[in-house]
Amino acid sequence: DAFSENLPTKALQELDRPKLQLLALSSVGIGLTYFLVWRRKAKKSIPLGDGWWGHGQQTLRDDNKIYPFKVETSEDEINDLHRRIDQMRYTEPLEDCGFQYGFNSNYLQKVVSYWRNQFDWKKQVAKLNEYPHFKTNIEGLDVHFVHVRAPHRPGQKVLPLMLVHGWPGSFFEFYKILPLLTDTKDDLAFEVICPSIPGYGFSEAPHKQGFCSLDAARIFLKLMERLGFNKFYLQGGDWGSLITTNMAQMKPQCVSGLHLNMLAVTKGGVGMLLSLIIGPYLPFLVGFTREDVRRLFPYFEKNVYDLLMESGYMHIQGTKPDTAGCGLNDSPVGLAAYILEKFSTWTDRKNRDLEDGDLEKKYSLDDLLTNVMIYWTTRSIIPSMRFYKENFKTNPQNRVDARTGIFVPMGHAAFPNELMHCPLPWARWRFKDIRSYSYMPRGGHFAAFEEPRLLAEDFVKFVRKVEGKKR
Amino acid sequence: MLLEVLLALVLGAVVLLVLRRSKAAVLKTEDGWWGAGSPPAGAEDESIRPFQVETSREEIEDLQRRIDQTRPVPSLEDSQFNYGFNSTYLQKVAAYWRNEFDWSKQVDKLNQYPHFKTKIEGIDVHYVHVKPKNLPEGRTAVPLIMVHGWPGSFYEFYGILPLLTEPANADDVAFEVICPSIPGYGFSEAPRKKGFNSVCAARVFLKLMRRLGFGRFYAQGGDWGWQITTNMAQLDPTAVKGLHINFAPVENVGPLLILSILLGRRFPGLFGFTELDVKRLYPRVEKMLVEPLKETGYFHIQATKPDTAGRGLNDSPVGLAAYILEKFSTWTDHEFRNLEDGGLERKFSLEDLLTNVMIYWTTGSITSSMRFYKENFAKGFYPPHARIPVTVPTGVAAFPNELMHTPKLWAKQKNHKLKTYTTMARGGHFAAMEEPGLMAQDIQKFIKVVEGKK
Repeated sequence: DAFSENLPTKALQELDRPKLQLLALSSVGIGLTYFLVWRRKAKKSIPLGDGWWGHGQQTLRDDNKIYPFKVETSEDEINDLHRRIDQMRYTEPLEDCGFQYGFNSNYLQKVVSYWRNQFDWKKQVAKLNEYPHFKTNIEGLDVHFVHVRAPHRPGQKVLPLMLVHGWPGSFFEFYKILPLLTDTKDDLAFEVICPSIPGYGFSEAPHKQGFCSLDAARIFLKLMERLGFNKFYLQGGDWGSLITTNMAQMKPQCVSGLHLNMLAVTKGGVGMLLSLIIGPYLPFLVGFTREDVRRLFPYFEKNVYDLLMESGYMHIQGTKPDTAGCGLNDSPVGLAAYILEKFSTWTDRKNRDLEDGDLEKKYSLDDLLTNVMIYWTTRSIIPSMRFYKENFKTNPQNRVDARTGIFVPMGHAAFPNELMHCPLPWARWRFKDIRSYSYMPRGGHFAAFEEPRLLAEDFVKFVRKVEGKKR
Repeated sequence: MLLEVLLALVLGAVVLLVLRRSKAAVLKTEDGWWGAGSPPAGAEDESIRPFQVETSREEIEDLQRRIDQTRPVPSLEDSQFNYGFNSTYLQKVAAYWRNEFDWSKQVDKLNQYPHFKTKIEGIDVHYVHVKPKNLPEGRTAVPLIMVHGWPGSFYEFYGILPLLTEPANADDVAFEVICPSIPGYGFSEAPRKKGFNSVCAARVFLKLMRRLGFGRFYAQGGDWGWQITTNMAQLDPTAVKGLHINFAPVENVGPLLILSILLGRRFPGLFGFTELDVKRLYPRVEKMLVEPLKETGYFHIQATKPDTAGRGLNDSPVGLAAYILEKFSTWTDHEFRNLEDGGLERKFSLEDLLTNVMIYWTTGSITSSMRFYKENFAKGFYPPHARIPVTVPTGVAAFPNELMHTPKLWAKQKNHKLKTYTTMARGGHFAAMEEPGLMAQDIQKFIKVVEGKK
């Protein structure tokens, strides 16, 4: 009959039972494998996209040249700063308020007096220029970066690394950790690129709407490509954490490893809720360690209430950045108070109860004010704030990068005074290849600035794990 | 579905009836002292001193110098007012301020009404006291206290004052008006101690009215003025004859409110929802969550870090103007966010707007004005006064572009003696300044209902 004349069916009919079973099983097996691999492959990266952020219409193609750049200042700039500081109109603080209402006015007077009379901007500019700076035009914007090469040491493996800063920081936050990474005496050293996010410091600000972390990531990938690096490590906190994560999502083949000191938990869901309910009582059941419990709970107080208390700046910058930054661009004292309040509170929340915010415990006024000067002299406070609005335009939970995992080797240094704590089980929801997770003994949000040695050690430990596994 | 709805309704009604009976509480408060250090021994100086707004050459030159030192940052292409105050338009405002605005002339305008200061609870409280000039024989003026909000001032009432003190209509009531400045705002001294919230301001203003010899009076307010006058009515219901408000946000979320939010779109008649109510409340997520989130950034930072937020604004007049005038644009009409000039001059004159800004600038009170937000939310969103109803006759003027829309049903939850509820023809948050005629009309309507009943 017609059916039995069909060749494949005829072949099948000739097989005995065990062989048929084997065939069935292997078909299912192949199908399943293919499905899983295909699924993994399909979600392993996010689209690169493209953009152009200069004035008006795009006319010329990108000029690919890299130009050396030097930070400069002038008598005019310094005199103008001094004049504005002298014009500060003091407001008396409430009695006994510490830093609870924001930057304490009395302590601010002391900071401002130092800034006016002792801070030497020329000296700090020379310090900034100790490392070579460059600018190059990408997608219509001049992108600034510092490029530090490791001194050639025989037998030393030099790996490329990009460090990305956040708000209200800058490339300058990395100046203490740079020597620890580039000038090592052992077998491993790094060649480091520290760019400025477009809109921050010496990087040109976008002229068009919509410049978010995905665009910054793509621009930084283009930068690394232009510099000739096709495989490199990434490290970041604050916005730097999101940008480097996006970079790893866009071109995972280029990223050897991703080290983050801040992890934002974007995907809540039932798993998170369950771990929050069960966590305090049976932590091990949900994968929490004792340290996780200590850092996370009481949850409402530490994570909801405290975050509400500390996210006013994010709310106003995420909605009205041009208004929020306007006064800060004319008043250096206002700018300093706004920025340095974060360096106090985000280093340790207990600092809110102190009249001087314990600002000088971990940082020198010279370093703090140099960071402020980078925002002041480049007039970049408003563009830096716009980054918040651009990133919150689409619901952050629904954006393509929030729905995609990260498959490159990842390491997390969890500092105890970071704004939010992310336990390992939560990190695993998105990061599929976590090689190292460390509870750091001390330190807050500005890890590279505050505890450069601890961060460098953890980062190198992570790199060794990744490099070790490669061999 | 219907069974559940019915069940919820019945349950809600029972809960309401039970709760309403027990809610006759009066708001309690303690005395306070807000000056520097400890209160001095002996009685407080209760004298009332006349006050004149003054300016000087130095003040004007300093302002002009600072305006000249502005470092403008261009707005993004085609962003209008969506990222905040548009930079291009801000330069125009700054140029007008620098070259055409006449502060001396405005100071004279401010002084056209008599100003006074008096010490209450350790701080100097400033107010304007306006009496009708031509009162017919046998008529007495009705006392009225009008309280401003943020970022406004007593000056917002300068357009409505003549309409209330010298009404054109012989039938209308003539008012004797007190316009104080909230402590920490404008010419009122700022508290030196933590904790000065709306209940404290209400207590201070009650003492003021008593000191001026007013045993019973009416109160009017919007924005913080709404909160303070409401607290006054809660603290001393016998003193406040009637309360007229143009802002009535919900403080207490009860079962009836939730029900009306869930079902109001499909069954508006059930809750007395008008077409305007439905238009302003739905779609729910957009109108009740997204829109408020877009506009409450200032609220969030001022309620947590006022000293940081105000610091730069006290040195940069243009920064201060941008911060304050952005509200006069957006809170007058949300659509103004899509205009390059924010529609600012459609309803207000630059002269009036900048006079209000100058009150914050010359007194250096922006930071203390912001602290009021933190003090009011120190104990969370649910302080005792949010749970206590208002038992004095109340009138609500619901302006169509107000920040938060309150349908009559919701206003009734808080104000148990709601006498009038008017859906106004036009106007936004700064109602007294934007539509003084409409506002005065509604106040008259309200008064007549209250007085008529007597």
